[in-house]
Amino acid sequence: MSTRHILLGLLATGPSHGYDLKRRHDERFPQARPLAYGQVYTTLQRLVRDGLAEVDGTDTDGGPERTLYRRTADGTRELARWAGEIAPPAPFVTNEIFAKVVVSILSGGDPAAYLRAQRTAHMERMRELTAVKTGPGADLTTVLSADYALNHLDADLRWMTTTAARLTTLTAEVDSA
Amino acid sequence: MRGVGAAGTGSDLRLAWLLTRGSDRREWWRVGLTAVGAGLATGFALGAVAIASVEGQYSVGFGNGLLNQPGERAGVVVALMMLLIPVLGFLGQCSRIGAVHRDRRLAGLRLAGAAPGQVRRIAALEAGLACLAGSLAATIASVVVVLGVWQRPPVVVWAGFALAAVAVPALGAMVSALALRRVIASPLGWVRRVRTARRPGRVFLVAAAALAVLLLMALTSDERGQLGLAQAPLTVFFAVLLVGAGAIWLSGASARLTGAFLAARTDRPTVLIAAERLRDDPWAAARTHAAVLLVTIVGTGFMGVRQALLAALDAEQPLAASRSFYTTGLDLTAAAIAVALLITLSALAVGTAESLATRRRGLAAQTAAGVPQAVLGRALLLETALPLAPAMLLAGVGGMVIATWYATLTGSGTLPWTALLVPAGVYGACLLAAATSLPLLRRSVRPGELRYV
Amino acid sequence: MSNPEPLLAARDLTKAHGRTEALRGASVELHAGEILAVTGASGSGKSTLLHCLAGIVRPDGGSVSYGGERVDRLPERRLSELRRTEFGVVFQFGQLIPELTALDNVALPLMLGGAGRREARDRAGEWLERFGVRGQGELRPGEMSGGQAQRASLARALVTGPRVVFADEPTGALDSLAGEQAMTALVHTAREAGTSVLLITHDAQVAAYADREIRLSDGVVVPVGVTA
Repeated sequence: MSTRHILLGLLATGPSHGYDLKRRHDERFPQARPLAYGQVYTTLQRLVRDGLAEVDGTDTDGGPERTLYRRTADGTRELARWAGEIAPPAPFVTNEIFAKVVVSILSGGDPAAYLRAQRTAHMERMRELTAVKTGPGADLTTVLSADYALNHLDADLRWMTTTAARLTTLTAEVDSA
Repeated sequence: MRGVGAAGTGSDLRLAWLLTRGSDRREWWRVGLTAVGAGLATGFALGAVAIASVEGQYSVGFGNGLLNQPGERAGVVVALMMLLIPVLGFLGQCSRIGAVHRDRRLAGLRLAGAAPGQVRRIAALEAGLACLAGSLAATIASVVVVLGVWQRPPVVVWAGFALAAVAVPALGAMVSALALRRVIASPLGWVRRVRTARRPGRVFLVAAAALAVLLLMALTSDERGQLGLAQAPLTVFFAVLLVGAGAIWLSGASARLTGAFLAARTDRPTVLIAAERLRDDPWAAARTHAAVLLVTIVGTGFMGVRQALLAALDAEQPLAASRSFYTTGLDLTAAAIAVALLITLSALAVGTAESLATRRRGLAAQTAAGVPQAVLGRALLLETALPLAPAMLLAGVGGMVIATWYATLTGSGTLPWTALLVPAGVYGACLLAAATSLPLLRRSVRPGELRYV
Repeated sequence: MSNPEPLLAARDLTKAHGRTEALRGASVELHAGEILAVTGASGSGKSTLLHCLAGIVRPDGGSVSYGGERVDRLPERRLSELRRTEFGVVFQFGQLIPELTALDNVALPLMLGGAGRREARDRAGEWLERFGVRGQGELRPGEMSGGQAQRASLARALVTGPRVVFADEPTGALDSLAGEQAMTALVHTAREAGTSVLLITHDAQVAAYADREIRLSDGVVVPVGVTA
């Protein structure tokens, strides 16, 4: 996930300062990890360094002084390029669950119990997400981002179900290797 | 080319056999009952052929001399030919047992790349083979009987026998191919059952018109304005067929009107279900109901004629023949009508059972949802009772007209009111025939049917 | 888990179909207003459990109690009444009568309960409205899309104001969007009316609409893991 491109995209609606960008990001991508305030500023400074954004001025608005940023023409071009580019279909999935199952077999643990617990945690999260998207006043942005997360969790869950059913074979294979 | 064609038929035959063998139990019911129907049809046809081929005065050792005269023999031939009508109705009903499965299977064949002609041939072979089995059995039985009572039957009898034995299966195959024309036209047709009421099509209208023309020709061909003895059986046969066609139309129309009328007004769930089913497909039961109507008309008329004839017999003592000659004739006719009624009622029972079997999943779901079985049972009976009531009334009136006409013709003053018992009795018998499916309903709605939903 | 009396409780249910044992001592509790998902592989006994709980089949052993009544001992007549008034059922398909319009289908349970046609149709219309298929009221099930027909089925299950709705793979024949619409409508209405739902599914995304999940395996309820 490219934070700099997402910030560039948020700047497309007009000049904005760092705090405002963070707030809008968290609103628009409700299921994504919230941006750290410091990360927003570092990213903005890099965008300025690369000539994709520039300082528009300052806005005091009664409170502390805030720097306003806006997009450059280069930034607009870069954003268009990135938005049209396909995302590489992740070749190396960091599969922590699988790693834990294998380690558990190697160290004589109980992989089945682990999978059950993991499944419960996944289901719990899926219920939360479903509650969010069926809750009163959930807009389409919320529903779609919840759906994205739900589908990924569901994929994990299905993988866990088939793995749990094949643990005996897996144990034999891991142990003999 | 000829070699290819022969190989094609051979493989069609093999496919037809494979498909039939692999089909479920209900399809075996269809094959079995089709064979029985074909056997009956062949039997009646062979009887007609044998009696028709007797020439001139002849002394037959049974039937109180009823078969001795050409005139009376013609009457018996007519009766046998008329018995063919309910048998045909029965066959039509049998062809619907498991029809959904067969259609699906044949549609599957089409999707798998079979040519329309090939599918048609396979279906025709399936039905033709079943009919052939029944017709062979009937032929063998008839040959044994003929050889038993007739020392030296003429060649014409054997020729007629051979013709009838081949014609019945051929006819069965043709009808079956005709019935499948929708499946063949669109192999995907069954996937999404868009329900269109299957009203009698052009074939039906053309056949009815042809019958009317034949009837007119038969009536006008004799310059004396009277029916020649040779044409009489055919004329009556055609007339009855034409009335039958009218009865199909009548029962279909009465089903649709009753359905539409009640569906819009009723407050009762049973009536609503039955009425909407009638409105949805008023022609479903039309064939069987038509046969019922036909039997009712003939039966009511016959009762009237019988009463008038017996009164006339009592009045004029010096009779041309013994009294038993006439009463045997009457009894035989009554027996023929009873047989026709029995066949028709069987067809009705088969039709009701089949309609239940096709819907058993839906019915099980209804029961699971708390619709009491009694409601479903009553709806089932109403589906027979509702459209038959007005049609039966008309049939009763028709029969009474015949009876009254005959009564005035013979000058017997009394109106044959007893004949009115016939429509009432037939109506009751129809409800009983439909009710034979109620045990099947109880079995159909078992939750076991839900497991494979 | 131990708070008030459950609305519906089954203990140690056993049921065999011929030689296959579908249930081998399953116990379930359903509380008022609760949405409970029953998950498990095909053939684990989910549907049989639902059939026993809803009084559609009698278990071979064990007990089913609903509001102080032993469902497994009720006569068939009372069971039909219970299913018609207190319970609602939704299957994958088949619960709509193909010859009746959607409106009449939904009105049917009310008419069976003695309501007049007009009154029943009016109320049925309101329920179709809630499920967003009011406009399809005069269509027959075969003329509707799968999702519309299923929403009409849900309306039919809920029209009598049941206390429990039993849904057996209600989205099984639907694509994911239609399934989501049907599930959202079901959950909203059930929560609004305080109806309990027993939801059978093999789809985790559907199970996630529930408050709680139990898993069946070979006819018994298996632990779903350590709850946080």
